[in-house]
Amino acid sequence: MTSSPSETETTVHPLQEFADRVAKAVGGAGEVTFGTVKVKVPVERWVESHRQARDDLGLVFFSWLSAVDWTVDVAVGDPPSGEVVDRFEMLTTVADVGEGRRVTFSTDLSKDDPVISSLVEVYAGANWHEREASEMFGIQFEGHPDLTRLYLVDSFIGNPLRKSYPLLSREVKPWPGTVDVEPMPGSAAEPSEPSEENPEA
Amino acid sequence: MALDQDLVRHLSETSVSVSLETPNMTLNIGPQHPSTHGVLRLVARVDGERAFDVHPVIGYMHRGYEKLSEVRTYPQITTLVNRIDWVSGYANEVPFIVAAEKLMQIEVPERAQFIRLILTEMARISSHLVFMASYPLELGAATPLFFALRERERILDLLEGVTGGRFHPNFNRIGGVKPAYGSGSQTRKLPQDLPAGFFAETRDAVEHVLGVADEIESLVAGNEIILARTKGVGLLPVDVAVSHGVSGPNLRASGVAFDLRKVESYLPYHRFDFEIPTGAVGDCWDRWWVRLAEIRQSARIIQQAIDGIPSGPLQAKVPKVIKVPKGETYVRAENPKGEMGYYLVSEGGQGPYRLKIRSASFSNISILPWILEGVLVPDIIAIMGSLDFVLGDVDR
Repeated sequence: MTSSPSETETTVHPLQEFADRVAKAVGGAGEVTFGTVKVKVPVERWVESHRQARDDLGLVFFSWLSAVDWTVDVAVGDPPSGEVVDRFEMLTTVADVGEGRRVTFSTDLSKDDPVISSLVEVYAGANWHEREASEMFGIQFEGHPDLTRLYLVDSFIGNPLRKSYPLLSREVKPWPGTVDVEPMPGSAAEPSEPSEENPEA
Repeated sequence: MALDQDLVRHLSETSVSVSLETPNMTLNIGPQHPSTHGVLRLVARVDGERAFDVHPVIGYMHRGYEKLSEVRTYPQITTLVNRIDWVSGYANEVPFIVAAEKLMQIEVPERAQFIRLILTEMARISSHLVFMASYPLELGAATPLFFALRERERILDLLEGVTGGRFHPNFNRIGGVKPAYGSGSQTRKLPQDLPAGFFAETRDAVEHVLGVADEIESLVAGNEIILARTKGVGLLPVDVAVSHGVSGPNLRASGVAFDLRKVESYLPYHRFDFEIPTGAVGDCWDRWWVRLAEIRQSARIIQQAIDGIPSGPLQAKVPKVIKVPKGETYVRAENPKGEMGYYLVSEGGQGPYRLKIRSASFSNISILPWILEGVLVPDIIAIMGSLDFVLGDVDR
């Protein structure tokens, strides 16, 4: 990122340049999405890419790790707008602590066998983030020193952040906001979208 | 207790013929200990006066906001995110709203951006004042609490006057900000701007804050007990901090002059003149000092922002029903506790497809097992307090 915010819309070039440089260094594909440098790497180069980002590019700060459950078959919320390949997308963001550069790494995991190597050796901070992703999505992190539950109680069944996991309280009682929604001022002609589109949300 | 450490070392090195049996014992701290600022439980193995294998147990306040966000609309989510770190509720809303605006490619009016910035800095001052109140209290000095909380109340009153809420403002709208005037149909009849006198009163409050910062400094910096308990205690080296993702004042106390307000563009901070205070060695004392210095810098920013605030509307034109186009982005902000960010994945609906919440305290306290290894039991309280975390910000 550049230091001058007024340039954000026009500084696509330096960001894209940086994205390409990172992608080349770690052996992935880089893109800039709304000011965020995102680099897609193959799953087998997951740990190595992070090691290179830390050692060669100076991205020493571990910001976060998480996942996205891509599927059209959702129990909660709206499904994706188009066709998607069923998969988990692993995401991390690492940054420097000087110029403010940051990179979001991404890789795809099959849902049949969601196993990925742990980043704890590279970034110690990945420890808790991986424990969270493990219980929330059911992803296994190979080489993690202590892959126990972080938030959830031991008796908890299921992986709550998977799209197939229902929001149980909403199953029992519908969200009251969709029942007593006030009509928008002057919107008598147009149907009130929140209540019709997704009645059980 | 730096002085005691030397004594302990001295005693352990001199050959005392009496061998003292100190069998290992498991010590539970929390989950309802006042120094945990919420409900955090620590399980430690204690050998004599020293703690080993400290194991934080979190999740008592896990509210599942990431899942909940997937079934809520964008305007509804602002009410969730300001409950993450409730000590600076306002500051949590900004990066989320900015992320949504980024995907919608909305240009927020300048006046609204300035107001967001002023309120964010007020939230920072009030958050740091809570630290100024609670940290000396945990070390046994009760007086600074009264000075700090008095000024904090003044700030919160002003926040309440503008937003309608002391803790949970829900003030940001996609495209701008919305002052609390009436409700329903009445809203349109009233002028869409801040209450009269807000800027004058804020200026006044900022003056008071600067005064109380000096008072607190004189109360704490001259207190020999506090100095003995914080200087040289809980040292955090930079490399350990960054690999754990420790950010904000905790990182700056270790000597890194890095502040997201200088490098990210979520609010127009580049227009203002302010410094990044850093610590010398990264001990508890430095973490206290950096926050005190940040209060003064925030006061400076607010004064400049009030001087230079442009006139104009508070809200850009947005559709009645907010739908965010397909796309993903990560927006991070310098919150009082450190880096707070949202990775927003939108699929074109009224709510996010996925919202990853990166909260500062979560990464900040993941350092606990490392930093508490082998310290004296009373130092656990001193070190935990100096990291200034809030459990709502840890558990989300």
